[in-house]
Formats: sequence, structure tokens, C-alpha cells
Amino acid sequence: MTINLASKKILIVEDQAIMRETIKHIMVTFGARHIIEAESGLNAITAMRVDKFDIVLCDYNLLRGKNGQQVLEEARHLKLLPINAIFIMVTGEQNPEMVLSAIDNKPDDYLIKPFNQQQLLIRIDRCYTRKKFLRSIDNKIDSGNLYQAIECCEELLQLNDKKMHLPLLKLRAELAIKVGDFKSAEAIYQGILQERDIPWARCGLGVVAFFLSFYDQAIETFQNLIKQYPVMLEAYDWLVKAYESLGNNESAMSSLNLAVELSPLSILRQKKLALLADKTQNLPVAKKAYMATIKLGKNSIHRSSSDYAGLANVYLKSNAPNEALKIVYELNQQFRNDPEAKLRSALLETRIYQAKDNKTLAQQAYGKAFKLNEEFNRQVSRELRLEMAKTFFLNGNGENCDEILNDLLKTNIDDKPFIKDIELMCDAIIGEEHANTLIQEIKKELVDINNKGVSLFQEGDIQGALAIFEQAITKTPNNHTINLNLIKVLIHDLKASQLASEKILRTQSFINKAIEIGVPHSQLSSLQKELTSLKENLSITS
Amino acid sequence: MLPIDFSALLASSIHDIKNSLGALRALLTQLEKIYIDPKPDELKHLNFEANRMNNILMQLLILYKIDLSQFSPTIDEHEVGEILEDVSAQQSTLLSLGNIKLITQCDNDLHCYCDSTLIGNALCTLVNNAQRYCLTKVLLSVAKEGDYVVFCIEDDGKGYPENLLTSDYKQLPLIDLATGNTGLGLFFTDTIAQLHVQGDKRGFITTDNNSQFGGARFRLYLP
Amino acid sequence: MAAINFSELLVSSVDDIKNSLATLHALISQLKNNYPDKKPPEFKQLEFETNRMNNSLMQLLTLHKIDLSHFSLTIDEHSAADILEDVAAQQSSLLSLGSIQLLTQSQSDLFCYCDATHIINALCTLVNNAQHYCLSKVLLSASQEGDYVVFCLEDDGTGYPEDLLRSDQKVPGLEDTTTGNTHLGLVYVETIAQLHVKADQKGFITTDNNSQFGGARFKLYLP
Repeated sequence: MTINLASKKILIVEDQAIMRETIKHIMVTFGARHIIEAESGLNAITAMRVDKFDIVLCDYNLLRGKNGQQVLEEARHLKLLPINAIFIMVTGEQNPEMVLSAIDNKPDDYLIKPFNQQQLLIRIDRCYTRKKFLRSIDNKIDSGNLYQAIECCEELLQLNDKKMHLPLLKLRAELAIKVGDFKSAEAIYQGILQERDIPWARCGLGVVAFFLSFYDQAIETFQNLIKQYPVMLEAYDWLVKAYESLGNNESAMSSLNLAVELSPLSILRQKKLALLADKTQNLPVAKKAYMATIKLGKNSIHRSSSDYAGLANVYLKSNAPNEALKIVYELNQQFRNDPEAKLRSALLETRIYQAKDNKTLAQQAYGKAFKLNEEFNRQVSRELRLEMAKTFFLNGNGENCDEILNDLLKTNIDDKPFIKDIELMCDAIIGEEHANTLIQEIKKELVDINNKGVSLFQEGDIQGALAIFEQAITKTPNNHTINLNLIKVLIHDLKASQLASEKILRTQSFINKAIEIGVPHSQLSSLQKELTSLKENLSITS
Repeated sequence: MLPIDFSALLASSIHDIKNSLGALRALLTQLEKIYIDPKPDELKHLNFEANRMNNILMQLLILYKIDLSQFSPTIDEHEVGEILEDVSAQQSTLLSLGNIKLITQCDNDLHCYCDSTLIGNALCTLVNNAQRYCLTKVLLSVAKEGDYVVFCIEDDGKGYPENLLTSDYKQLPLIDLATGNTGLGLFFTDTIAQLHVQGDKRGFITTDNNSQFGGARFRLYLP
Repeated sequence: MAAINFSELLVSSVDDIKNSLATLHALISQLKNNYPDKKPPEFKQLEFETNRMNNSLMQLLTLHKIDLSHFSLTIDEHSAADILEDVAAQQSSLLSLGSIQLLTQSQSDLFCYCDATHIINALCTLVNNAQHYCLSKVLLSASQEGDYVVFCLEDDGTGYPEDLLRSDQKVPGLEDTTTGNTHLGLVYVETIAQLHVKADQKGFITTDNNSQFGGARFKLYLP
């Protein structure tokens, strides 16, 4: 055993007293001194708020309230788990990776019941060793510094640890994909496949093809994988994305349906299925998936008023306005004091009462929505704001509609799928050219700001250029060009002036942001290199 | 790929597991002898789990045969008192280890037409659960109600959870992994009850929380 | 008559039984904790039987999924030493109660491409049986033989009975109760082995009585 349990804080989450006792007995026998027990998910979360645990052993099947997966999701979401903590899910399920597979938030390992002392300790020990080995990378990923994570990965690969070689390559390729360096990822996967046919490496090649927009090639890769490994959920998830990108929502939905059958407990898959089925007007599938999502959402951080709204909409589309009203009532019951939910329910009521031809109540609901929109405006999600814009237009209020549309377009101008949603909405109810006109105006505005900044920069007025870009970024935080130019000016400023670590950190955070919004690797990597060398200079001089 | 004769596999697996379970119960009896009173609580709990596994295996096998249409009940006239005696006997090891009382009640001359093995098994499953979830006692009684003979199990526990009070036992609450008890016992009993037919009447079951002792009440109606 | 979705039923029953089994296992280890040194021999038997039930259940479920084509392996690179360590760990509580020795042997840098969960399960089943039928020791080793990684299990018992030495393990021996779940175990291992494919090579198993200790020898070949 490499791990010393005496110094570790351990949380045991298990509803059965006898199992708790047994696990505790094992841990104590092997020197553990700080053990907290929780018999429900809620108590587990409370315990994690008080203590920072090093090891969490959590049963999946908790009798009341949250299940183990929901505990994990909530703990990660609320950042209650230190990044280097070990979270092990205990389950009776033989293939937990598959049956319990969530799209994100996987535990560090699964432990299958029944288990004995040795099995438990080996599991913990291996997790600990692995996490310790990867600690430097995990820390960098956690702080968003992906390029530095890649450097750490390269360093660890140099150690030639045979057992960690393949896991490191996998991580290295995934990081390459995250920063948009698809060529490197492809080379890694191909290198692995030359040695041995490993399913995740083949899947990785599909992912690379997907990001390079070779959708047909990606689809073929995922389909072949699924043929050979019919329960490989990751391949299904990517296949769905590839079909969506081709605009083939029908195929996307049927593929996702298969994945949902294999992992019915994954709320995010159910949710996505509901949305896809809704888009393709497959009302029975949408209804079933929304209901499943609502049911799974109980006790989950993924619980959302949008699922209730989705279900109500499906009822409305199936000409069942009274059923829809019941769901809206349920929505109001479940989400009190939630602005987003309030606005949703007002918008739904507007449409439902219009469908029922009850003008007074419809008008009342519209009035409520209007006020809520004024009050909460940007605080609600973009999808809901789009819905609001639509309702404005349908009720003869084009001005307020355009106001929202302009704002949404500005903040999301480089997010192609969402822009597409806006276009579809406008095409359907406002008119063919409407969205396009708004987009052209915004693009022109952006080009103007950009040109102004660039010319100031060229004239040598660095501070002036910086001011222009910094102001622009508050208005259009997700615009690629503005982000990129801001980074360029910041780096130039760093070179020209006294090196200061806070300035470097700030520049790094803009690079991390740029990775997140999808600025291509080809444009970012040289800037990152410059920044890294500046950082090295700083540490040499200081 | 090997062709799998799943039917044969299932039967042989269940056979294997039942063998192991038999050995396990014998071992538990041996262990009990080692302990002097008061015996550890674990022994009681062990007996409960062993009973539970045995019940599920038996149900699984029968439901499988029903599914393949390879099953029909062996209906005959049986004395109700004997059925109750069999159930008490099966639970006796477990009951002797705790202080739960199982009371049985029925008229001496009450007879019913049924497959007594199946009905006995179903009642054992339910009594096994009842004695686990009650506080002090379980009453198993049988009475004639119109055209039906009614087996009734009442306890003084907290009663059935919401999801087991539905009238539709055919629906396996499978997604409810979180509730632990999958309601398989009720599903099985309902299936078995429905195999008992007399003229146009069919057997059925009900669940409610109207026990005379304030807990759960289960009733099995046989025509 | 209620329509039965047998597949769902099987999965949920096996879940229920596995839960019971896990509880049972925990209870037994609690009882065992009461004995600091010399434990009654019943505990060893109890461990053996719970292992056996667990293995049968797991095999049943896996074969069922294969039967439904709801199954595929999760292939990755694994250290053979880790796999052996896992098997030894699973058997450790049983072995600690008796005088049988389980030796494991492999090079630290031997890697194989397989679904570790299933390979470990398969090896556990076989070791559980081997330690039951051997006299004093079981050797579990892993080595490279040409294109294959070979897991080899040898004991010093009386060897496999005639009917298990046939190259054809496709029919589970329903009639043969003396070998317990050995037969099903072999069907399972062979099925899993054959799912491991590399180019034109497939995994396979062999059984003979050429153990270096004079007992049974089992070999699992993975490409």
C-alpha cells in the first residue's frame, strides 16, 4: 500500500447500516482515523460542505433522495470535492461504466459489490497512485491552463512509465482536441492504432474527423465502432453530434434513442433526446423523454424548468392545452422564486390561453411575461430569451423582439449552432432576410471596432488600442476576432513594458477563454508560445 | 461466436445458485449452534437475506417458464390451515432469532382450490418482507369473502411506500432503482393469482395501509 | 394474463439477489470480526458459497446480454500483474480462512489487451473452484506465448473429470451436479475469450490435467 490512510479524511456514503459498518471496519483496520458516515445523499453533501475529503466511497443505490451519481454531480458542481480527491462509486451493477454512464462527471473508479477488504484497498490504492501521478496535469486543467497541461503531459511521457504510457497518450490526445490541435491528436491516435486496435483510439479518430468537419468520415467511423461494440456509448454520443452537424436530425434522434435505451438513467442524454425529438416533431418520443428527464431530475442539479416547459409545449402541439396547463401548474409548484421558471410559465400560459382562445387570460399572461423580461432580462438563459423574442414578435411588438435578437446575436456571433437557431426562428415567423440583416449590421459594427483598434495599434497607441478592445469584449465577450486581437495587444504591451505577473495571468486567462469559445489552435498556439517564454523570462529575472 | 442456449443456461445457473444457497443455509444453522443466547442480530438478518434470495430465484424460474408458456399451475383442493402451517414453518428459523411474532388465523374447515406450492411460496415472500418491516407482529389470516378465499397479511410497520400502493402490479417499477425494493414479490404474486381461474373469476391481489395494527395490509383473493 | 418482459425481469431479479448477496457478505464479515484469531470452519465455506453465487449471477447476466446482443467488451491495455492482483484480492478473504495457497506469477511489464472486468470475473470463478478442489495450492500465472498472452491456472487436486476435458464446452452439464458451477464457468470463460479478437486471431481456452503439480490445468489464450 502506498497510501497512508491515517492522514486522510474519508467519507462513507451508504444507506445500509451493515454495509457502512463493514466498510468502516476495513478502513479503521488499515489505519484510517478520520471517517465520517452519511446515510443519504443530502447528508453527504452537507458533510462535504463542512470538510474537504480526500476519499469518498459512495453507494449508487441510496434508498432515499439523491443517488450516488447525483451526489457526485452536485459535489463537483458546487466545487465541494478537492480536485485531487478520490471518488469511488460502489454499486451492485456488473457493468457500471455502461449502465450508469453519465455524459460527464464520471467517478474516479467503480467498485462492484460484494467486495472484501483487499478489493477495497486495492481500488483506493490504485486510484491514489494514478491521481498522484497525474496531479500536475489535473491541476493545470482545473485552472484552465490547457497548454500548460499539455506540457506537463509531455514531461510525464518522458518518464517512460509503461503502465501510464497509454493513459497519458489518451489524455494528451484529448487535450490536443480541446485546444483545437487536431493534427497532433490524429497523429497520436494513429500511432496507437498501428500497434493495436483499441476502441477509444478509433473513436478519437472519429472525433478528429468531426472537428475537421469531415462528417461523413466521422459517421462511418462511429458506425463501424458501434457495429463491433454495440454498447460503446461514447461512439453513440459523437454519432449524434455528427448527424446534427449535417442537419440530419432524424438520424441523430434514432441513434440517440439507442444510446438512451442502453443507459436510461443518464439525464443529459434523455434531455438531449427530448430536444431532438421536439425538433423533428416526433411528439411521442419527445413526451417520453421529457417525462423521463423530469423524473431523473428530481434531486439532480440538472433539474430544470425547461424540461417542464418542453413537456407542456409537446402537449400544446398535440392539441392538449389542458394537459399543458397541468404541467405549467406543476412547474410553478416545483420552482418557486426562480425568475427563469416564472418567465417560462408566463410565456407558456400566453400560448396556451391563445390556443384555448381565452384572450383575457392570454393578455394577462403576456403582460406578466413582459414585466418579468424587463426585470430579469439578461439573467435568464439565451434559449429562453429567444423564446421571449418570438413571443414579442407574435404579439406585435417587433421593437422589443429586435432588441433581444440584437443582444443575442452580439454575444453569440461565433456560435454557429445557436445563430442557426435564431435564423430558423426568424425565417419561420418574421421573414427570410430578417436575421441576416441584423447579423450583417452587427458584423459591420464589429469590423469597424476592430479596424479602429488595429489602426491605433499600428500607429503605436497601444493603450488606446487596448481600451478599444477591452471595451468591445465586455459587449461581445465571445467574439473570436476581438478576443484574439486583445490577446495580441496584451502580449505586445507585456513585451514593451515592465513584466508583471498579474498581467501575464490576465493574458493567460484570455487565452483560456479563447480556447473555450473555439478560437482555432493555428491562431492561438504561437501567442501561447510567446506568453510562455515571457513567463519564463519573468521567473528568470525575479 | 458460440451459440448460446439461454434457456438451458438459465435453468442450470439457477440450479447452481440454489445449491449454493442450500449449502449456505446449512452453514448458517451450524453457526447458530456455536452461539449461545442472545445470538447476534446478524444471524437474523442473514436468514432474512437467504430467504429473500431463495424466493427471488424461485419466482424468477417460474416467471421464466410462464413466459415460455411452459407452465401451468397444479390446482387441487387444499386445506388452508396446512398452507399456513407451511408458511410458518418456513419462517420459523428466522422468527426464532428475533422477537417478531407471526400469528396465523383461519377456520378449521376452510378449503381452497389452488396450486399450494405456488401460493405457499408467494406468501412466504410476503411474510418474509412483512416481518422485516414491522415493529412487533405480523398477522396472516384467511377467510371466505363471497366467492373468494382471501389470504390477508397485516403488520404494524410503517406501511407500503407510495409506489407499491398502485393497483397496477404488472408494471415493474424498474427505473426506480433508488427504492431498492423492486416490487418483484408483488408482481410475482399478482401473476400467480391470475393463473387461478374459476368460471369467469380470476385471482387478484390488493395492497393498502389499512392494517388493523396500523401498518401495511396485503390481500390475495383466490376464486 | 400479465405480459411479462422477461428480460427486464431477469435483470431486476439478478439485481435484487446481488443486493441481498452483498448484504449477506457484509453480515458474514461482521460476524467474522467477532473472532480475532481462530474462526470456525463454517466461515470458509460461507465465503466459498457466496463467491460461487456471485459468480453464477454475474455469468448469467452477461450471457443473457450476449444472447440479446446487448453486449460488447470494453477493450483497453491492462497490466497482467494488476489482473492477477485483482483476482488474488477477490479470493483473499476465502483463502485467509484456510490453508490453501494461491500463488501468482507474471512479469511486471507484461500487458494484454482485454476487457479486464470480464477476464477477472472469469479467472475468479475458476480460482474459486480450483482452491475448493485442490489439496494445498493453486498457481495462477500469466506469460507471453507467441502472439498470445496466456493465463494459466494449475492446481494439485485430482484433476478435471473426464467430461470437462472435452474440447467442446458448449453444452452446460445440467445433469452433472457434482461439479457445481464449474461447467457454466467454462462456458462463460470460453464465450468471453472468443469475443477477444485481433485480426484473424481469437481468444480460446484449453483444459487438461497436465498441471506441474499433478492436478488440473486451465489455460486462457488472449490474442
